[in-house]
Amino acid sequence: MSVFEWINRISDDERSRKAWFSLVCLVFAVLVIIPSVFVILKMFTEWGIVSEVFGDPVTMSVITSALWNSFSIACIVTVIDVAVGIPMAWIMVRKQFKGKKYLDTLMDMPLAFPTAVLGISVVMFWGAPEGITIPGLGLIVSPYIMLILLHTIFTYPYMVRSLSAILEQIEPNYETAAMTLSASRFTAVRTITLPLFRAGLVTGTILCFARSLSETGGTLIALQMMGVGSLFFTGPTFIAYMKTEYGTDAAMGSMILISVLMIVLALILLVVVKVLIMRFRIPVKKVWPKFGRFVSRGAMPKLKDTVSVMFLAVVVLLPTFYIFTYLTQPMADIDFGALLYSTGISFLIAGVAVVFNMVFGIPVALYIARKRHTKSGKILDSLVNVPLIIPTTALGFSLALFWGSIYAGDSMGLLMVILGHIAFTFPLVVRNVTGAVEEVDISYEEVAMTLGAKPFQAFSKVLMPIIKSSVIAGAILAFTRSLGETGATVAISDSVETVPVYIMGLISANRYSEAAFCSIVLIAICFAFMLAVRIAVNRGGSRA
Amino acid sequence: MKIRLENISMKFGDLYAVRNISLSVAKGEYLTVLGPSGCGKTTLIKVISGIWKPTEGRVTVDGEDVTDIPMEDRDTGYVFQNIALFPNMTIMDNVGYSQRVKDTSSDEANRISKDHLELVKMFDRAGMFPSELSGGEQQKVAIARALASGSKMLMLDEPLSALDARVRVELRYELRRLVKKLGITVLHVTHDQEEAMSVSDRILLMRAGGIQEVGTPLNMYRNPGSIFAAYFIGETNLMECTVSGKTKTGKTTVRLRGGQVVRVSKSGFKAGDPVVISVRPENVYTANDGLGAEIIGAVFMGTYWKIRTLAETTDYIDYYVSSNDEVPKIGSKVHLVFNKKATKVFARPKEGLEEAIKLE
Repeated sequence: MSVFEWINRISDDERSRKAWFSLVCLVFAVLVIIPSVFVILKMFTEWGIVSEVFGDPVTMSVITSALWNSFSIACIVTVIDVAVGIPMAWIMVRKQFKGKKYLDTLMDMPLAFPTAVLGISVVMFWGAPEGITIPGLGLIVSPYIMLILLHTIFTYPYMVRSLSAILEQIEPNYETAAMTLSASRFTAVRTITLPLFRAGLVTGTILCFARSLSETGGTLIALQMMGVGSLFFTGPTFIAYMKTEYGTDAAMGSMILISVLMIVLALILLVVVKVLIMRFRIPVKKVWPKFGRFVSRGAMPKLKDTVSVMFLAVVVLLPTFYIFTYLTQPMADIDFGALLYSTGISFLIAGVAVVFNMVFGIPVALYIARKRHTKSGKILDSLVNVPLIIPTTALGFSLALFWGSIYAGDSMGLLMVILGHIAFTFPLVVRNVTGAVEEVDISYEEVAMTLGAKPFQAFSKVLMPIIKSSVIAGAILAFTRSLGETGATVAISDSVETVPVYIMGLISANRYSEAAFCSIVLIAICFAFMLAVRIAVNRGGSRA
Repeated sequence: MKIRLENISMKFGDLYAVRNISLSVAKGEYLTVLGPSGCGKTTLIKVISGIWKPTEGRVTVDGEDVTDIPMEDRDTGYVFQNIALFPNMTIMDNVGYSQRVKDTSSDEANRISKDHLELVKMFDRAGMFPSELSGGEQQKVAIARALASGSKMLMLDEPLSALDARVRVELRYELRRLVKKLGITVLHVTHDQEEAMSVSDRILLMRAGGIQEVGTPLNMYRNPGSIFAAYFIGETNLMECTVSGKTKTGKTTVRLRGGQVVRVSKSGFKAGDPVVISVRPENVYTANDGLGAEIIGAVFMGTYWKIRTLAETTDYIDYYVSSNDEVPKIGSKVHLVFNKKATKVFARPKEGLEEAIKLE
């Protein structure tokens, strides 16, 4: 109580607010931004060993093909997500039907699953990996196509969510107005709604692209299960592979090179994508009335909706849940001690990262939301996106180099992993909170202050209760994202065994059945945890 | 175009937004649909324009049943309350939209767009985007856009309610002049009775999803068919009373709550019938003799004073005093008389007077 009073009192002073904000910025720079891109600096200081890699045609060809795989898969996945995400967003926003609530929950399921688990499940469903007794479809033998299917699953919810968020803000009357002016539904959507849609498309594209580019755990597991773990690489799996096969020191040159290339290419490509989407004009002048009417009438809209829902069911949900077929098998001999220990480590890391990001992320979000038009607001806004765009494995590697250069040794492994998780979950919290704060009229806080509230009281008693659900959504998103992360963890430390790392170890040892049952237990724990959070939050809500 | 509605009902879930409405609108007629919020006005024009398909009933245009024709083939102009100009297109492209989506050649579409912008005197803004225009200008463009489709019927959904008071008044006469010139059939939804009176050929008064009354503005004002119409259109004093008999000339006499007997207009009520009388403030005068009342308030309305009194019948009775005249002092006593011809008698509603004039 006295602490709050103290905060209230000092929040009235301009200088103490400035001091606090400076601290937040410092923390953001030192713990999040600088470690994330430190590897670029390292490339110059270690130019000698990096240039050696250039002279090694074998390694270079592996690196280029890994990069090509990463970026082309991310591109294809994003295009698929856009194509199936747009009609799905329409269904979610503009249509009213029974069971919509359940569809809404189902849609987010892949986000609640650690990607390592998704990797197992997807390969089991589409392929027929050796050593697994449960029959799969056996359709996909190409690792490239398998990865596209896998990445589509966990990027799909991001795309649908971003598009739905924008669609909800677009006045439905525009479409109706266009239709009273003789435009068919198709023409109305194409010429009016889609052009207004770009912001959502940019967000969705960036999220999907970055997520696909980053993903390590599920990808690694899928490739291992297909037996091509040391033959087929993406950027992140290459870093992980080099690290475990040769050790950081021996593979330093190639790891630095591919990390820097991934970071730089990702940043460049995303700027290009953003410019392209904002510049590209959907041709609105030319219309094809007959074609428009054909696709807007009769069976066509139904067909489109059916295909969208089927895609969700067959490509996203079925493979996600396929791992549960293991429940029909005899229970494997699980090492509960090891599983619970690694789960505990994972929860500890995720928990600390989320709490840290709440304390230091919310002020950043407030600043961005309230000062968006100022230069410093814009700069902060772009900077926050940096850890989101950088592939987490490269980020982890960079961070390990940064802290390793200050303090060598692996005894600080856990702390460094936590710092890594703080860095890549930071943008998730900030993004969600910024979005929510922008929706809230600042006059609420102003009114509170005219009524005598101190700035901190205005924030904690007025703004916070309004944006609470978005803050919690951001926290849950960050928490699950941290829980499922493999790449950054592996890149930072060899000794910290989080749950995805533990499951990956089981897969490497071909202990599939055990891995599957561990996954199921893990999912059960996650769901119980999330349910508990929701219930606790709802209780708190009704009391307030 | 001549529009006919036959037993139109529109249900949302278990609720009727519009119930069993039949109506004829003549070619070139300007009909306003008036009523309190939530009475089903907008639903009605959305059904006519095909935006919604009625749950029951038929819509015919020039004798042709159009109920099942989708809105994009109806050719009905529709102007939205929130204007809904396409923000991604210039004014010119907005107005030319309907022609372009019909695959009219680009030159022809531009010509039609230009003609209609000139019609609403907005051609000088052709290259601008909607966000650069004021509210009134945007609404003019929206009207031009609806007309440019070549449609001969126009639905206006509270087109003026989002505008400033003065712009609103100017634009409504402009609107009437324009559609009369083009011979277009208009259904104009509004909750503003003054707007309805000043622009329409006929008013359709709606309440709780049904038609309350249809008539010309003057007739509806002078001879409202119901207590609700009398109350909703213009201002009126309503008093509960009982019929006491008839005069030699056939006028009804009623006994007010305080026992006073006054003469009102002719009616078919018999002695002892419970009734409500309605007398508009401009038909209440002060005199040397009449109903005793105490002045309890005076509000300056610009061109006149609205004086509120508490009569000895325990009714509140308002009357007007010209702004040039002396305003009576609060607390002073006056005697009120009513213009007999303009005092209307209605049967006292079973549900009570309060319920009969409730707005929701």
